[in-house]
Amino acid sequence: MTSDATATEVKIRPMDELDIGDIVAIDEKIGGEYRPDVWESRATYYLRRDPDGSLVAEVDGEVVGFMLGEVRSGEFGLDETTGWIDQLGVDPEARGQAIGRRLAAGMMEHFRGRGATSVRTLVDEERDDVRSFFDSLGFEPSTLRPFVKKL
Amino acid sequence: MSTRTALLPKKYHDAVVRWRETFLPDFDYLLDNWDKHFPKEPRFELCAYREMGMCSEVECGDLQGKPKPTRAADLPEEAAHHLYGAIRAQASTEFGSIQQHRLTLSRAQDEQEQIWILRMMAEELRHGYQMLHLLSEDEDWAALSGHTTSDAIEDILSMTTGSHLLSAFNIDFDSFVDNVTFCALIDRVGKYQLAMQKVSAYQPMAESMPQMLREEAFHLAAGVVPMRRWATEAAKGEVYVSMEMMQKAVNKWLPRGLEMFGDERGGGTNVRLGLKPMKNAEAQQQYYDEVVKLVKDVDMRYVRARLPELSMPEAKDVVERVLAGDVVRGIKPEDLIRVPAMDFFRRRGVPAFRMMGVDGESFDELDDYLRHLRGQLPESYLAGVDFRDFVHALRQVDGGELTVADAVSQMPQLRRVAGSCPCSKSVRWVVDDPAHVSGGLSQPPSP
Repeated sequence: MTSDATATEVKIRPMDELDIGDIVAIDEKIGGEYRPDVWESRATYYLRRDPDGSLVAEVDGEVVGFMLGEVRSGEFGLDETTGWIDQLGVDPEARGQAIGRRLAAGMMEHFRGRGATSVRTLVDEERDDVRSFFDSLGFEPSTLRPFVKKL
Repeated sequence: MSTRTALLPKKYHDAVVRWRETFLPDFDYLLDNWDKHFPKEPRFELCAYREMGMCSEVECGDLQGKPKPTRAADLPEEAAHHLYGAIRAQASTEFGSIQQHRLTLSRAQDEQEQIWILRMMAEELRHGYQMLHLLSEDEDWAALSGHTTSDAIEDILSMTTGSHLLSAFNIDFDSFVDNVTFCALIDRVGKYQLAMQKVSAYQPMAESMPQMLREEAFHLAAGVVPMRRWATEAAKGEVYVSMEMMQKAVNKWLPRGLEMFGDERGGGTNVRLGLKPMKNAEAQQQYYDEVVKLVKDVDMRYVRARLPELSMPEAKDVVERVLAGDVVRGIKPEDLIRVPAMDFFRRRGVPAFRMMGVDGESFDELDDYLRHLRGQLPESYLAGVDFRDFVHALRQVDGGELTVADAVSQMPQLRRVAGSCPCSKSVRWVVDDPAHVSGGLSQPPSP
């Protein structure tokens, strides 16, 4: 699935293994840490599970954003087929072009095609920017809450 | 869209299972360790998948807009013959790739890398099964080809390294570096073929492609990710897989990958018949551009591991300057991997048997060229039959004893070989092509 749009040509397409370097670069710009091992493992996982379910955004042939996810069911008491948005990142220099929104739209279209009836994610409450992004897409807090225990 | 599964008729399914027992003996190990390495992922299933809800109109060529035939007899005759060849070639590559991978699988130094390749092999088996299902499900193929379904399947399952349709699948692996580089470069060609076949005017073929493409996405990662990791280890001074080893493996496989697209001048017929959306040269160039990106990423991985204090833009600058010939902060050009020129070491297509070097330089003297090749290709490959056959043909071309066209025809290609096929109980011997034979059955070339 690809789409082109508006004044800035933003192309949304499925992630592939050649995008790993670009995803590492975007993550480094956002968080300041170079983590190639992390993204090699993650990208390979999503490519194995559902290569059409993770997307990147391209502007002028350069990857400027990514969103990784998949469809799952049967976990945490959720029997319904659910799309999960697990990872996302937009190049800080490419913000303001609705890239995250376009990626999300692409993901949700894919999830619908796979039979998902809802889409979920986990948001760190300390990240106002991420929370407001998902708010703007119509996400709402869920009664399913994350719990954590240190071992 | 949804997917449905289908099985081959029992005797053919059992034949594939017997083939698997011979050529994929580690299959049970894969299943026994599945949950350890691929937790919560659907277990491998040997079956055909057909995607439902796909476009039912011809998407390109002379018949664009017309309903896609679901039976081979409803295809134009020319298209049907092209497609039959394509299905057989696809099946041949899938089974052939397993035969290549299996001999060096045990040499992997990393358990995860090994299990990834093993899973890839199982999925290639499924891809071969998918193609056999196309041949068996549509009875029209037997009438069109003049071969019974049983003969067609037996022919494919009887092929061994040396007899497969595409020459890349007739070259032995020399180490696990070949397993990985093959995934990165040759499976990449497969991805192109599958993507082009997704718009096939023959609906069952088109429906077969999406699941194969999804599985192929991981196969490419099973090649690219280990190469990136090896580059990191090489940068840190690890003694196992060097950048030079990877460079020579790329030099060995890229020319074969380029040739899998067919002659640069061709492909128009497939487009006209609605079987593919792109001509050969266009697809080949896109593939080459992808390999350029792949190699650049591996080089970046190396530089960043070697000089961790550099930022991404600084590392990019170092890569570009070193590839341009500079020594930068101790990193020499030979420390990085370069993509060979498209015409390097070619034996099919427009540049066939031209003495072109790895950087696109032209050689006038054969001995100079052979010395150049010796420095660019893996040592173990130089000692093998495939390289010997190439050099023999090149000498004859250079000496005027053979035309390029005749030399091309001598390179590894389809021949039926003797052997007992798992789907029949008898040994089948066929007449070999009287031209030069290679691949384990060869006679030494005449002096």
